[in-house]
Amino acid sequence: MNAIGRPSFRSLNQEGIVFAIAVALFAAAAIGLPGFLTADNIVAIVRSVSVLGILALGMAVVIIGRGIDLSAVAIMAMSVAWYLQLLNTGTPDGLAFAYVLVGVLAIGLLNGFLVAYADVPAIFVTLATGSFVFGYVRSQLITQDAVPVPQGHWVELLGGLRFLDIPVEVFVFAGLAFLFFLFLRYTKWGRYIYFAGDNPVAARNIGIPVRPMLVLRYVLSAFVALIAGLLTAASLHSINTRVVNSTLLYDIVLVAVIGGIGLSGGRGGVRNVLVGAALIGILLNAMTIIDIPLLYQNLIKAAILLGAIIVDGIINPRDEQTAQQGDI
Amino acid sequence: MEPIVRLENVTKNYRGVPAVKNVTFDLRKGEIHALLGENGAGKSTLTKIIAGVVEATSGRMFHNGREIAYASPHAALEAGIAMVFQETSLVPSMTVAQNLYLGTEKFLNRLRGTYISAQQFLQSLNFPVDPNAMVATLGAAKRQMVEIARAVHHNAEIIIFDEPTATLTPEEKRHFFALIRRLKAGGVSIVFISHALEEALAIADRITILRDGELVITDDTAAFDRDRIVAAMVGRTLSGQIYRQRDEAKLRKAGKKVLSVQDISMSNVVRNNSFSIFEGQITGVFGLIGSGRTETFKIVSGIYKRDFLRGGTIELDDRPVRYLVPSEAVADGIVYVTEDRKSEGIFETMGIAENLFGGLLAAGREKAWVINQQEMRQLSAEWTRTLNIKAINDNARVVELSGGNQQKVVIGKGLVQKPRIVIFDEPTRGVDVGAIAEIHQIINRLADEGLAVVVISSYLPEIMNLSDRILVCRQGRIVEEFSPAEATEEKIMYAAVH
Repeated sequence: MNAIGRPSFRSLNQEGIVFAIAVALFAAAAIGLPGFLTADNIVAIVRSVSVLGILALGMAVVIIGRGIDLSAVAIMAMSVAWYLQLLNTGTPDGLAFAYVLVGVLAIGLLNGFLVAYADVPAIFVTLATGSFVFGYVRSQLITQDAVPVPQGHWVELLGGLRFLDIPVEVFVFAGLAFLFFLFLRYTKWGRYIYFAGDNPVAARNIGIPVRPMLVLRYVLSAFVALIAGLLTAASLHSINTRVVNSTLLYDIVLVAVIGGIGLSGGRGGVRNVLVGAALIGILLNAMTIIDIPLLYQNLIKAAILLGAIIVDGIINPRDEQTAQQGDI
Repeated sequence: MEPIVRLENVTKNYRGVPAVKNVTFDLRKGEIHALLGENGAGKSTLTKIIAGVVEATSGRMFHNGREIAYASPHAALEAGIAMVFQETSLVPSMTVAQNLYLGTEKFLNRLRGTYISAQQFLQSLNFPVDPNAMVATLGAAKRQMVEIARAVHHNAEIIIFDEPTATLTPEEKRHFFALIRRLKAGGVSIVFISHALEEALAIADRITILRDGELVITDDTAAFDRDRIVAAMVGRTLSGQIYRQRDEAKLRKAGKKVLSVQDISMSNVVRNNSFSIFEGQITGVFGLIGSGRTETFKIVSGIYKRDFLRGGTIELDDRPVRYLVPSEAVADGIVYVTEDRKSEGIFETMGIAENLFGGLLAAGREKAWVINQQEMRQLSAEWTRTLNIKAINDNARVVELSGGNQQKVVIGKGLVQKPRIVIFDEPTRGVDVGAIAEIHQIINRLADEGLAVVVISSYLPEIMNLSDRILVCRQGRIVEEFSPAEATEEKIMYAAVH
């Protein structure tokens, strides 16, 4: 019996292929690149993909439900920037955090509400809310692009936390991955996401609360973005809001899609995120060691994302009958 | 006479399941060729091969003596083969005139000129359709006329009609047949698929009968009568089993009234519809496409919402209900088994077990938050046995099953929710003959167990055979009720079309 949550045979193939490529790349880099196969560098790889992987977990949940969240990076950077700004201007920590938490959940609710109840395609809703969050926070709530973490604040201490010489974000990523795995595979709401992503009309007809679950996914994604933002600030001791206009968002989609989470919905799981993150982590690290200029790195990533989406379209075709105009 | 189109040993497989098996078929110049057969006999598939909509798995096709295989409907149209589809292929947001000239517009295109020539053209066909009207606003019959007009407009030498008369009124049918005869006189060859035997006998020059994807017989119309056609269509052994006439003594008596619907309306699709549903019997609902039968029962099961003002009342056990979402109906024990299993029934990425388990999860009877894999497997094993779902192996995904087994999964998904009222919408559409019998057995068993069962079907023998009472739906409301003992196909059809 096909165990719940296990990707179907064909996407298992894609996952397998990507995993094999990741292993091959790792082996090639280990042999060919001096300094790649050192404990420090391995930790660096895992650390570099941790934040990316956490964001990809949130994205994965949305994509499995046949949506997409383009506001994730804006929420991640701007919520934490606002938080730090509040702290720097003397707002009590608890109050500041409560403000930010409410703001983040409100944006998630807005995304979910517009997609679920106003029937606006997710790609437009999240693009707009992402721009709005960035524009509003940058112009009204913070004063400069980069906001530093106050001296001795718990976010700074978090960044210094090590266990067995492994930075804390790796553990957070692992823990969240495990929680998401349990959620998607073993809980009722997690299963609802697969049903709604596979066939929303059928899911509604058999009595699954499709719309409330849709809202839940965007709220979850926004919340995960906040965690990722806090970890970013912890390791860099500041948050630079310019990241919103970087390629990070595409890296997130890249991780999810290349791991085998079909954009057509209902396919994939946490394992696909891990595989995708492994491949991208190794790739980025190797390119940095070889010293490929950033422009070319972006070109290579773009080519891989395009290839992954094309392969996804071929392996997981969304046929005309289930296709909806305007959604991704 | 040299045939204008000839198919030799053509086979078409869908996912390994043959829809058309080794059929040889020829169409002569200037003839009207009727294609008959039960639902799922392969009529549509065969004609789609000719029209380039689907590609044959094997076999050869000749057009005007040359071997060809049209890769697309467009290529076939260029070569003079036009098909009028059963499911309308018009663009709803465009006007009639724009649809008529779709794909043949000149580069520069004057709206007024288009409308004038469309008007003249429609008048020459005797079709009372306004070329300025948006297709979305037209009724089923008028859409059909636009479809037909489009095929004629392309000057096709072969026109294939897939059930052209199903939605037409008798008056419109007369016009349609006159048109077909005119086309024939002009040298056009016509294939038409029909369920109406009398039509075929009246108008066709030759008749071909298919059964389960295989050619049964092709002969001149003069060599047929109704009995011979029916015998060829259903095959001797099956006709007795599946479609026997019910006698009065065996009809189930109505139990308690569970559902009482009064004057429900939804825009102009459902209009002041009133009826009741009783426990312990099968209520058959017959209606043509566009009669509002599906919409009516989608309102009952909470999938559609009736009009907020003057929407009528629905009472479940004398308690008024107004469902906002289907889950409320499911919680009250009303389950709707869809007519369109592919787009609103199955979860195609999943296996049988998960599809069935989805029903249980959604019903809210699964109180636990944590999914019990073992329970899911047990449920699957139990229902696979009860419904006799056949799969190659346990891991088979639902899309890999045959139509009949997919349908059983969709039915099972509803039945695990332990409903009191089950609404089957076209339960045997696109299902092979063996599975039809099994699905009918399942439906009968549910009624015997005391459930209130509704069967919506546009296939008369199915309605006649299953129902303990028959409701006929026309223009958005139930217009007549029959007892199967007294009803005939003619009476029911008469009520449905008038």
